[in-house]
Amino acid sequence: MYNPRSLSTLTPTLIAQHLTKVIGDRTIVDDVSFEVFAGEVFGFLGPNGAGKTTTIRMLVGLIRPTAGRILICGHDVQHQFEQAMRCVGCIVETPDLYRFMTGRENLAHFARMLGAGDDDIARVASLVNLSGRLDQRVGTYSLGMRQRLGIAQAMLGEPRVLILDEPANGLDPAGIREIRELLRELARTRGMSVFVSSHLLAEIELTCDRVAIIHRGRLLRTGTVRDLISSRRSLELRVGDVPRAAGILADHQPTIEGDCLLLPLDESAAPPLIAALTEAGIDVYRVAPHRQTLEEMFIEATGGETVD
Amino acid sequence: MLAMLALIQNETLKLLRRRRFVIVISILTAILLIVSYSQYRILRDSAKRNWRADLQERIARAENMLRRGRASASWARSIRAEIGRWQFYLDHDIDPQKPNVPRFVRTFPNVAGSLLLLPLLVSILGSDIVSAENAEGTDKLLLTRPVRRWKILLAKLITLWMFATLTLLCGAIIAFLAASVALPSHGWTEPSFSGFQLANATVRLDAVRELPLWRDALIAYGLEWYSMMAFASIALLLSVIFKSSAASIGTMLASLIGGTILTHISPDWTAGKYFFVTALPLADYYTGEPPPYDGMSMMFCITLLAVWAIGTVAIAFALFTRRDVFG
Ligand SMILES: Nc1ncnc2c1ncn2[C@@H]1O[C@H](COP(=O)(O)OP(=O)(O)OP(=O)(O)O)[C@@H](O)[C@H]1O
Ligand SMILES: [Mg+2]
Repeated sequence: MYNPRSLSTLTPTLIAQHLTKVIGDRTIVDDVSFEVFAGEVFGFLGPNGAGKTTTIRMLVGLIRPTAGRILICGHDVQHQFEQAMRCVGCIVETPDLYRFMTGRENLAHFARMLGAGDDDIARVASLVNLSGRLDQRVGTYSLGMRQRLGIAQAMLGEPRVLILDEPANGLDPAGIREIRELLRELARTRGMSVFVSSHLLAEIELTCDRVAIIHRGRLLRTGTVRDLISSRRSLELRVGDVPRAAGILADHQPTIEGDCLLLPLDESAAPPLIAALTEAGIDVYRVAPHRQTLEEMFIEATGGETVD
Repeated sequence: MLAMLALIQNETLKLLRRRRFVIVISILTAILLIVSYSQYRILRDSAKRNWRADLQERIARAENMLRRGRASASWARSIRAEIGRWQFYLDHDIDPQKPNVPRFVRTFPNVAGSLLLLPLLVSILGSDIVSAENAEGTDKLLLTRPVRRWKILLAKLITLWMFATLTLLCGAIIAFLAASVALPSHGWTEPSFSGFQLANATVRLDAVRELPLWRDALIAYGLEWYSMMAFASIALLLSVIFKSSAASIGTMLASLIGGTILTHISPDWTAGKYFFVTALPLADYYTGEPPPYDGMSMMFCITLLAVWAIGTVAIAFALFTRRDVFG
């Protein structure tokens, strides 16, 4: 069993250094760098067309970076392709498998390329709850089942790094939760590195330990989910006379939102402010820490755009 | 090596599951049964007919046609060659049309090769062996396993060669079975003649070889096999270039038909002899059908096919191993 205590001493299993992809005169991915460690779920968050899939295609050797390099378990994807890919399971864009073959034949097909056996096929099928439907043709599968089969396929050969492009696609809420728990479980108990891309903020917030935010091919920021949220913590005050209160608290640069004041302060700074306001005869109805959601931060960071 | 076998096993499984081989065998069976039946009718009528008179009449009719100058240049060459062969059989008192199982099996590679049936079947098998993966999106998984791309392409090429070989073998077996239903089965050691050559509008007989039919058949099958291997290699390149099955199969069929049309409508443009399609019917050229252009000796055709095959395979590997795989 994987021991999470050794995490800090581990080197990253997936390293992207200055990845850049230029097609024609368009820079689709621009100087993207990040590291993913063993035992963590790493989110890759960005709106449609941000360059998530393009980055993933570079990570798994489908396209050649214009500049930069990728190390997986210490192996350069471009120069030690076989060793690097032995450490990776992936889904890129959509979980396309051979529709004219059964689920079991599909898994056997990819297991053969890894030298994995029947027991491995049974293992991954039961991990995604697909054991019962394995002998049906994939053409008869629902989208959710194909997504599961894709994830099962990615876990063949017990890779140390799992790279999944929008794994929640096509799954219902129960399925999404199931996959989320599976991914967290794989990271926690087996020490796998899980890299998931998504344009769903809530999904990333619930699934990931750390997150990188990409927009128009550039990384806006990288950090733990907690940090990216708490670093933007503020104090929300609902008061009776907003303009006067703003005047009194002018030193703290308040922003006015409806009948509330937002102050870029921690909750420990609240008591003297409340005292100052009540002294000036202003009613204070509510004081609450305002947690900026990932969503608000994301919209702020990307300037509210969703399509480039 | 073991890894290569696993890859070939994968490709074989996919090809079978796509039902391509079933289609090929069905087409072969249908065609051969029909032809066998028509041969049976000839046999049934042969009691009534005098083959010598028949042949003489045909020769007279063909010469008439040549005299009237209605045939195109390449067709005229074919007719002259045929007249020469018929005359040869008359002189040697051999009925070339007497149907029996061995002759039926012997004729299969010639007819199926010259009418481009065998290349067509290879196209059905493999013209989309790479492009189908691209169209179905499965290349993203296939190419992210710890296997170098050249190995994957090599496995595909070997699988295609295997199934092309199997197609020819099955063709021989089905021809044998279809003929056995209707025709007499003896005659494997009968003399069989090949190597007729056309020189200055007359057929040269000094190059004609006489072999027992079974050996003659082996050579014809061997040559046709060689031409199918070359064709499969060329098909691989098209399947690498195109992203959809329809585009790659369509282009291959168009080049087959286009090549044939070219030799018929512009026989003077001799550059056409460097197009691989004109060199494909090796078995027919071996027997004595004149190639459409001067200077297309057997050696020339064999070399030309090899050059095309090696060239296209080299390009296919260079493209496949280097290119970016987008959706
Ligand atoms: N082959 C290509 N040629 C030119 N431009 C491309 C190509 N592939 C992708 N792009 C462009 O690159 C940009 C990023 O595409 P990408 O598929 O990586 O986005 P994404 O983040 O995965 O988006 P989504 O959330 O919609 O999946 C898009 O603007 C797209 O138009
Ligand atoms: Mg995408």
